[in-house]
Amino acid sequence: MYNDMPKVDLKVVLLGSSNVGKTSLLERFIDDRFNENLPNQSTIGAAFASKEVCVNNIKFTLGIWDTAGSERYQSMTKLYYRGAKAAIVCYDVTNLESWERAKYWVRELRSVEETCVVYLCGTKKDILDEGKTATPDLDIVERYAAGIQCKFYLVSNKTGEKTSELFDEISKDYISDPDNLHSVMEAITLTANSKTDSRCCPIG
Amino acid sequence: MEDVLDEVVSSEDLKKFERVYHEQLHASNVTQNAQFEYAWCLVRSKYSADIRKGIILLEDLFNKEGEALKRDCIYYLAIGNARIKEYTKALSYVRAFLQIEPGNQQVQHLETTIKKKMEKEGLVGMAVAGGVIIGLASILGLGIAMAKKG
Ligand SMILES: Nc1nc2c(ncn2[C@@H]2O[C@H](COP(=O)(O)OP(=O)(O)OP(=O)(O)O)[C@@H](O)[C@H]2O)c(=O)[nH]1
Ligand SMILES: [Mg+2]
Repeated sequence: MYNDMPKVDLKVVLLGSSNVGKTSLLERFIDDRFNENLPNQSTIGAAFASKEVCVNNIKFTLGIWDTAGSERYQSMTKLYYRGAKAAIVCYDVTNLESWERAKYWVRELRSVEETCVVYLCGTKKDILDEGKTATPDLDIVERYAAGIQCKFYLVSNKTGEKTSELFDEISKDYISDPDNLHSVMEAITLTANSKTDSRCCPIG
Repeated sequence: MEDVLDEVVSSEDLKKFERVYHEQLHASNVTQNAQFEYAWCLVRSKYSADIRKGIILLEDLFNKEGEALKRDCIYYLAIGNARIKEYTKALSYVRAFLQIEPGNQQVQHLETTIKKKMEKEGLVGMAVAGGVIIGLASILGLGIAMAKKG
């Protein structure tokens, strides 16, 4: 899943408590896989993966920093969200503590990285489908997200439900900003001679 | 194309964590966290003298009582050593880690990256012959640390 760092157009950072499923979300996006049988693989520091996406026939690269949720890395994590254009703040829908932590990250981003678009992501929806109750209530989360004008996605990395929708949305939001479109187009023009066909199929 | 070994810390960030560490050192009360954060910056410095210093701090942390950081120390010891081209040592840390967590993708990726780097520098095959062995006791200690986590 992890790879070296190519030229990245859209820097995305994954934030949230340990064990909420940030790495699993990334693995869904990159390889469309979920490995339940792997023992604890708690991320060390931060890891990187990238993927090329395509919206409206425009190709660009998402570079994603998957941070370690452990509190030990709190001050180091700041170094990774610096300059991020989008952030996915994750919490486990059955874990109240992780929700409190998610709100902390949202506040932090809003004050430090004002231009970073924040997406709130509740993970492990499959557990709700099995009958467990959400904590906090999903209404509260939806109201909170609406209140701060941030998109909320309820996903399951296990089943893959809504995970690609989340990344599609992030990509679309990014490229619909004329400034971003401009910088992507500029990069394409610069590499037009050396690169192969830059056309592709639209997302979704 | 950059990789995990090319990632460098900015000098402001390094200084920030250095200050915290030195303040605590001065008060003779260095917390594990401050030492780890400082070492984490040092091994990602542009300068090999810094990296070496970071390695010493990480080794020191690794040998201390607390078990919580062992796993993280091993990972950054591998990175630090690889960055000063101590590839054999770096790979032995990677292997020690993978012995305990065989499927760890982050560490597998690091191993691939180190090997690619060696290949580029014409050092293929050396690692197999060399083999700086990290003391068995340390590896066992790491095992205990990881088991406790789960
Ligand atoms: N049922 C279910 N389990 C999940 C889901 N996502 C992740 N998990 C499990 O939750 C655990 C933690 O997942 P990770 O992706 O490693 O969590 P993380 O947020 O990256 O954790 P850190 O790296 O420590 O910050 C693993 O055992 C996953 O299998 C999900 O959507 N549903
Ligand atoms: Mg992780």
